[in-house]
Amino acid sequence: MRHIQRYWWLLVLALIALYPPTLGGMSPYRSGVLIFVGIYVILAVSLDLLMGLAGLISVGHAAFFAIGAYASGILTAKYGTSPLFALLMGMLLSGGVAWAVGRPVLALKEYYLAMATLALNEIIVTLIIGLQWLTGGASGLRDIPAFSLLGFPFDNPIHYYYVVWAIVFLVVLASLGVARSPFGRTLIAIHSDETAAKTFGIDCARYKGRVYILSALYASVAGSLFAHYMGFLAPDDFSVLTSINILVMLFLGGIGTIYGPALGAIFLKLLPEFTYQFQDYELLLNGIILIVVLVFMPKGLFGILMSLKDRLIGTRAT
Amino acid sequence: MNEFSHLIQFFFSGLTTGSVYALMAVSLVIVYKVSLLICFAQGEFFVIGALTMVTLTSKGLPMPAAFVLSIILSTAVGALVERVLIRRIRDMSVGNLIVMTIAISLALRGLALLIWGKESAVSPPFTPGKPIHVLGATLQPQVLWIIGVTILVLFLIWFFFEKTKAGIAMRACAENRLGASLMGISTQKVALFAWAWGSGIGALAGMVVAPLLFIQYGSGVMPMVKGFIAMSIGGLESIAGAVITGFLLGLVESYTIGLISSQFSDTIVFTILLFVLVFKPSGLFGASRSREV
Amino acid sequence: MTGQDTGGLLALDVKQDIRLEGPLLRIVDVSKDFEGVRALDHVSFSVEAAKIKALIGPNGAGKTSLLNVINGLLPSDGGHVYFDGQDLVGMKTDRIAMMGLSRTFQLIRLFTVNNATVLDNVLIGAHRKVRPTLPGALFFRGRTAKEETLLREKAIELLRFVGLEWAADVQPGALSFGNQRLVELARALMGEPRLLLLDEPASGLNDAEVERFIRLLSAIRTRGITVLLVEHNMKLVMDASDDIVVIDFGRWVAEGDPAAICANPAVIEAYLGSHCAEGDSAG
Repeated sequence: MRHIQRYWWLLVLALIALYPPTLGGMSPYRSGVLIFVGIYVILAVSLDLLMGLAGLISVGHAAFFAIGAYASGILTAKYGTSPLFALLMGMLLSGGVAWAVGRPVLALKEYYLAMATLALNEIIVTLIIGLQWLTGGASGLRDIPAFSLLGFPFDNPIHYYYVVWAIVFLVVLASLGVARSPFGRTLIAIHSDETAAKTFGIDCARYKGRVYILSALYASVAGSLFAHYMGFLAPDDFSVLTSINILVMLFLGGIGTIYGPALGAIFLKLLPEFTYQFQDYELLLNGIILIVVLVFMPKGLFGILMSLKDRLIGTRAT
Repeated sequence: MNEFSHLIQFFFSGLTTGSVYALMAVSLVIVYKVSLLICFAQGEFFVIGALTMVTLTSKGLPMPAAFVLSIILSTAVGALVERVLIRRIRDMSVGNLIVMTIAISLALRGLALLIWGKESAVSPPFTPGKPIHVLGATLQPQVLWIIGVTILVLFLIWFFFEKTKAGIAMRACAENRLGASLMGISTQKVALFAWAWGSGIGALAGMVVAPLLFIQYGSGVMPMVKGFIAMSIGGLESIAGAVITGFLLGLVESYTIGLISSQFSDTIVFTILLFVLVFKPSGLFGASRSREV
Repeated sequence: MTGQDTGGLLALDVKQDIRLEGPLLRIVDVSKDFEGVRALDHVSFSVEAAKIKALIGPNGAGKTSLLNVINGLLPSDGGHVYFDGQDLVGMKTDRIAMMGLSRTFQLIRLFTVNNATVLDNVLIGAHRKVRPTLPGALFFRGRTAKEETLLREKAIELLRFVGLEWAADVQPGALSFGNQRLVELARALMGEPRLLLLDEPASGLNDAEVERFIRLLSAIRTRGITVLLVEHNMKLVMDASDDIVVIDFGRWVAEGDPAAICANPAVIEAYLGSHCAEGDSAG
């Protein structure tokens, strides 16, 4: 927690670094890739609040990603509502599901919790496939308009990039704030030792429920942004496999650090750009990366960066 | 008569998938009882076993040889995974263990993708033969193999765990790790054995159903998940529970697809899982553990 | 000396309930079964407000089980636990804590995830007084920050009280067992409890540390906080407690002030041995 407080400028740096001119010019393709990266940063960071801070295993985070995406997609494509309204509706729905499912499910222990979140993910995806008349089923939902604010459409990826990353910035900032707040501290207590936490008056169910809803809201926003960028949605993008991909980003970056998962998302989403001829190796690589991280570098990339920084510059005094 | 024969048809397909689910569930239970680990990678042995057999038979090997070799290979892979990876991470938090087995499943699936590519493979049936007609429903002879092998495996498991020294040692280890090690039982060997059993049975499930399905690198995920569901509902540590629930699950699924809706059968199955997890997490056959402080 | 040690505790605002007549805590007929074993068998005793009561007995006598029942971590199989007149049996642990009960643990249970520091641990103890909210973390940052500053000051005061203000930014794992126990104590005090349950706080402490702890306990009592202390260290028990209750095999055996307990032949024979021969009993 001390780390986070002192290094928020890293975040600002990262954003400046991503400013298009420094990347040698922006193209629609590049913006597209970076939009993808941004969306997954939101997903990874939101999962970190749940898993890293509160210690609640979720193998089904893509469920809320899906709800946000399809809410935005359906409302804008089929009913012509404004994207902002659709985004808010998606958040409402995601938050509602998280609230309803949260109470009973979050009380479960580890394996049971993992399976329950997996089940929820599958339920959402199979519902999407089954309710063909609404969602387009397995063939997908088409003709989703671009995101627009106050009538101004962001159909140019270069412009949309700014919208997405502005939101990414807000989400990461908010998540950092939550992590180092008294609320975040309470989650850490629950994560460390739920029984002991109770003896200090902490209503664990309540706090778990709150953070679950928050992470669901963020994931929903990511989903909405995704829908408007792609213009087209397929249920395959929201399966348990996607949830697992987010998990890999989480651990690769360094679980619990907020920055780490953001880094992990950036790394894993940019890597294919440089290695696309090895696309078939992606699955194997993900597995191996995760294994290596778990066994040899549990603090992830962020942990390694911090150790390097400590060794080069030395830890700052309090 | 048509209605009735449909019901019989559903029964047979339910029995078929039920066998697969039962085998997967049993393999998961065995590993869990001994290592207290739920292996997310189990589905990959399903695929490895099936695809290895397909490859071997396509190269001209006779079916029995291919069968045996595939089992040996899958079991070897399972043992290797235990020896190299699982043993090392035994002390990790439960959350990390879960993620570890997920990672292993990713790696194995990625490996399968590289070796066999994205195409689906169909295996020749164990014995050639025409479909059998029973009470108006059609039965592939392979189904008899599936059920037969399942019963054989269950018998072997029973025999091994009840009658052989090694099996009893494993059970002792599952009940009381410390006590077992104090009695000279090598807990490490037992864990290895458990994983070998688990991967072997998982592979068997894949191999036995391969002639009826198109199997590709990702085909293991669903059987594993359904195996989980059976295991969760049947009780995490109960082999009998796993078997019964596995078959029940297959039948429920089959009748749901046939009679209610094929589109929402999975939704229904997973919703049932969610309800069971919330209301009776130790499963229908499992004992409720008293709360630890 | 007592005055100096109370310094840190002056930051605490402990409600002195003068209107209450009778004991703050009344254990009445509490029983607990564990799969055929009677861990607690109709145990009854009381703890007067602003007093230190020690609960002693051989290993396995059921002392920690009793604390767990009081705390709500263990459901009882009969009996009542009256705290300030209210029956705690059946209440959830967090609600009981909010009423003003706090505790430390036999096996140290400090929060260590995500590099939590000693200060973080103590701050979490403040939950009873200042409950963090999510809107507070997201939107009302200014107000939350102000509250946080005040809490931090108080937490450092408490760490100073137990002599660990230098360890505020250290992770608990790096401290000795004795110091970790002191952190647990500071954490338990942070919530300004009315009743403090201590489970073998002296275990792992050397003689000098035990002496120090006795003084801390005295300061705590002066501040008006009631203490129920489970302990094996007889020096601590005899020097620090006003009152002692002895249980064995889950059953009440004896009760009284240190002198009386020392004089009790049953207790001496079963349990006390040499400590009473030293004639050691402060009031």
